[in-house]
This record gives sequence, structure tokens and C-alpha cells, in this order.
Amino acid sequence: MNPIIKTTQLSKVYGTQKAVDNLQMNVYPGEIYGFLGRNGAGKTTTIRMLLGLIKPTQGKIEIFGADLLQNSKEILTRTGSIIEFSGFYENLTAAENLLINAKLMGIQKRQIITEVLETVGLQNETKKPVGKFSLGMKQRLGIARAIMHHPELLILDEPTNGLDPIGIKEMRELIKSFASEKKMTILISSHILSEIEQLVDRIGIIHEGKLLEELKLEELQKRNRKYLQFQVSNENKAVLLLEQVLKIFDYEVHEKGEIRIYSHLTMAGKINQVLVQNEIEVSKITLSKDDLEDYFIKLIGGGAIG
Amino acid sequence: MVNSLFTEFLKLKRSQMFLISLMGAAVAPGMEFLAMIVGQRKHPETVITFQKFFTETNLYILLLIGILLYGVITAYLFNREYVEDTLKNLLTIPVSRNSFLSSKFTMLFIWILFLTLFAWILTLILGLIGQFDGLNSALLIKSFQEYLVGGILIFLLLTPIAWVTLIFKNYVTTIVFTILITMINALVLNSEYVVLYPWSAILAIATNKFNAIYPSEYSYFSVFGTSLLGLIATIIYFKKVDID
Repeated sequence: MNPIIKTTQLSKVYGTQKAVDNLQMNVYPGEIYGFLGRNGAGKTTTIRMLLGLIKPTQGKIEIFGADLLQNSKEILTRTGSIIEFSGFYENLTAAENLLINAKLMGIQKRQIITEVLETVGLQNETKKPVGKFSLGMKQRLGIARAIMHHPELLILDEPTNGLDPIGIKEMRELIKSFASEKKMTILISSHILSEIEQLVDRIGIIHEGKLLEELKLEELQKRNRKYLQFQVSNENKAVLLLEQVLKIFDYEVHEKGEIRIYSHLTMAGKINQVLVQNEIEVSKITLSKDDLEDYFIKLIGGGAIG
Repeated sequence: MVNSLFTEFLKLKRSQMFLISLMGAAVAPGMEFLAMIVGQRKHPETVITFQKFFTETNLYILLLIGILLYGVITAYLFNREYVEDTLKNLLTIPVSRNSFLSSKFTMLFIWILFLTLFAWILTLILGLIGQFDGLNSALLIKSFQEYLVGGILIFLLLTPIAWVTLIFKNYVTTIVFTILITMINALVLNSEYVVLYPWSAILAIATNKFNAIYPSEYSYFSVFGTSLLGLIATIIYFKKVDID
């Protein structure tokens, strides 16, 4: 399957500082891709490059299989976006703000404004200027603006920034519905892991401008399952004992005699006993306690996400 | 272009800026009217003519009030998308950067023409209220022509101000820049350089009064050259700048 977004050696340098460094990102059709990183990691710079607002210092961006620089108009008409906090003309109402977009996009059907306002639950805010909207209402209006031309690709840069927990939940459900009902491909950035985790199919982790890892959510969760780790002198014999004597099959063998057992977590003593009785030297037993947060902290080399 | 212009008008809905600009445009005719009435009270034998009233009001507009007022409008129009953080939305619709600049300059042009017309009509009305002498159709046509040419030339000279606004992205720098322009206007007003400095040369062109030292071409070159440089700088800068 060809990716909808593909970046090749994408870099952006400000003076001597590399904001984005040789980024190779692939977002596939129909998926929700979580772009995760701490504040200042390079997420917004990358997204602004994907939307043609910032010119890359080097590298290539292909969206819908076409080069962004050569085909920006065609690509952007098929794309909707929110970049950080949504900006609006504060003296105008929600509908008037959307009318500006509709006019500039050449959308003739005025009904679409009513429809998208209903989608985001702002249909009753007909008279209030946007300047008097709460942050949550503005973000929902930003979503309405992003989807009013029925884009195939939605790029959302920290769309839940500043929202309260209920607002975050509403936004998450809205985004999920776009992927499931409207079949949009969605790229969403965040610095909050727990938020991304509940929404996405795949995750790309960016740190100091570099894309450290790109993987499926299931793969990530599997990597972070709790396990018992045994350091043994003979891993082949140990595996035989696990299967034949203890009937344990959910395990992985790693380098240097390391065996990870993902089931029977409370049976460390019994497993150890069986191994030792069969003349296998056990030099270490540990119970992993990594969760996803720990995993990311390790990955980026310290410091917390979120 | 029609749609872009429509959105520029829509953006002004419920905005106080248009009303404020009308008040600004009323300052020159109003102040000049008061000055003439006060002067006549001191010297009752003085006859105030419409010609003098039109000419002096236009002088104030072109050399003092105009560049300040229109500079603020330029800053408002070109800086608004930065202040309200809407530029990133417009450019990803996508609206081309050239189209964005074109709609801004067109809106600015229409706005200035409207204010010029407003100032001319107000001058006429105040003159009629004051029962000034010498009103005739030839004077009306000539004065209207001078106001109109002056307004168009000031518009042309707003391109460097638009450039400064885009670079600094705030009102303060632009206002300081227009004050500087106006101060130099006052400085050169009574010198032979009045026809060379672009923002004062517009008075010579609008009223067709040049001096013997420098040919009129110098004034035209100064105004159009400055305008063109400002426009080129604005386009090049805005096309290249990253929208952070």
C-alpha cells in the first residue's frame, strides 16, 4: 500500500539548530497516525512543512503520491487541518468565519456550513461572535472548518490543547468518527501519550527533530506487556522445560540467555525451582514494570512526555 | 478575486476600524474648517474662498494626516491575520500568497478611495455651512481631481508600509514608520526637496505644482519608483517567509 504522506530525509534548520532532522515518515490510507513528542520536539515544524507553511531546508514531501512543492494547491484542497490553537476573526460569528473559508474554497452550497456546525455541536451559536467562544468551542469550530470541504486527509496539530477532560473526550470521539464513518486518513500530533494511545492505529515518536520509531499500536502495547525475565545458562533446555513441564508457551527468547515469559507472572518461584532442579543456572529473575510512559522515557533518553 | 474581496469586506463586519477611519478622515476638513472660522473671527474682513479651503485641506491630508491614517489602515489589513492567527488557515485552504496580497491591496485601494471621497464631500459640506465664497463647477472638478490623484498616489506609496508591517508583524513599528515619514514631510515642505521626497512629491503631482530646480519627471520617478520597490519587496518577502 502506498503511503498518503511520505517524507524523505525531511529537515528544517534554523541557524545552527536542526528543528527537524532527516525525518522519514509514512502515513497510510485510512489510518489514524499519532505523532508523539515532547514540546519542542519538532512536531509543529513538521506539520507546518506538510502544509506548505514552512519550506524544508532539505528533503521531500509526497502527499497523495505527488510532490508537495509542485502540487501544493491540488494537495491542500484534499486536506483539512488544525494547527495548534485555531485562529478566527473574533468579530464574526461561527457561520461567518466558515463562510470566509467556503467563499475562498469556491464552495457554493451554503447548507454545508449548517451541516458542519451540527457535526461539531455548534448549530445553536448563531449570533455570538467567536471572540466570546470558549477555547473548546473554538477548537470544535476549527474542526468544522477543517472538514467542511470533505477532505481525504486530516492533519491535526495538538487539537486538544487547552481543553478540559470532557472536551478532550468529545474531541477524541469526533476524530474517531471521521476515520470510521468518513474514511479519512488522520495525522494527529500530541505530547500526551495517554491521549494518543486511545485514538491511533500507529505511532511515530519524534524527539529533538528525529523520528525515533514508527510502529503499530498493538506492537507497541506488546512490547510493553509485563513479563518475567529469567537470565539462564542454557536457554534451549530452559524453553523445553517451560513448554513440557510448566506448559508455558507465551514467551520470547532474547540474546545472552534471556527469556521473557508473558504469562504465569505470579509463578516466578515455581519456574525458578523447575529450572534449578534441572541443572540450569538462573542468574537473574526480574518482573518488568514498564508501562508505555516508561517506554517513551527510555526511548527519548530521559525526561517525561506530557 | 471577487470572492477574496467579498471576504475582506466580511472581515470588517462589526469591526470598529471602519468607523475609526471615517473619524480620522474627518479630522483634516474639520480642523481646517475650525482654523478658517477662528481666523475670520479675528479678521472679519478676510474672505474665505472654497479654493483656499479645498487646497489647504488637501495639503493636510496629503502631507500630514493621510500617511498616518492610511498607514494604520495598512497595518490593520496586513497585520490582522498575524494578530488573529488566521493566516495559517487561509494559506492552507489554499489561498495563494499572491492572491492574499492582491486582495489586501485591492481592499486598501477601495478603502482609501472611499475615505478620499468622504473627505472631499465633508470639505464641500463644511464650506457650504461656513458660506465660503467662490464655489463653481470648475473648482469642484479641479479639487475633486486633486483629492483623487492625491489619494491614489498615497495608496501607491503604502507598499513600503505594507512591507514593514509584514516584516515586524505589529502596529507599533508601522506607526513609528509613518510618523517618521510625516516628520520628513514637514521638514522638506518648504525646501526645494519637496518635489523629490516621494511622500511630499505627491502634493506636487496632485496639484501640478513643481519647482524650477527639478523637472517633474523626478517627482514621478520618486513616487512610482518607491512604490514599485515597496511592492517588489513585499511580494518577495511574503512569498519566501515561513509562517511560524
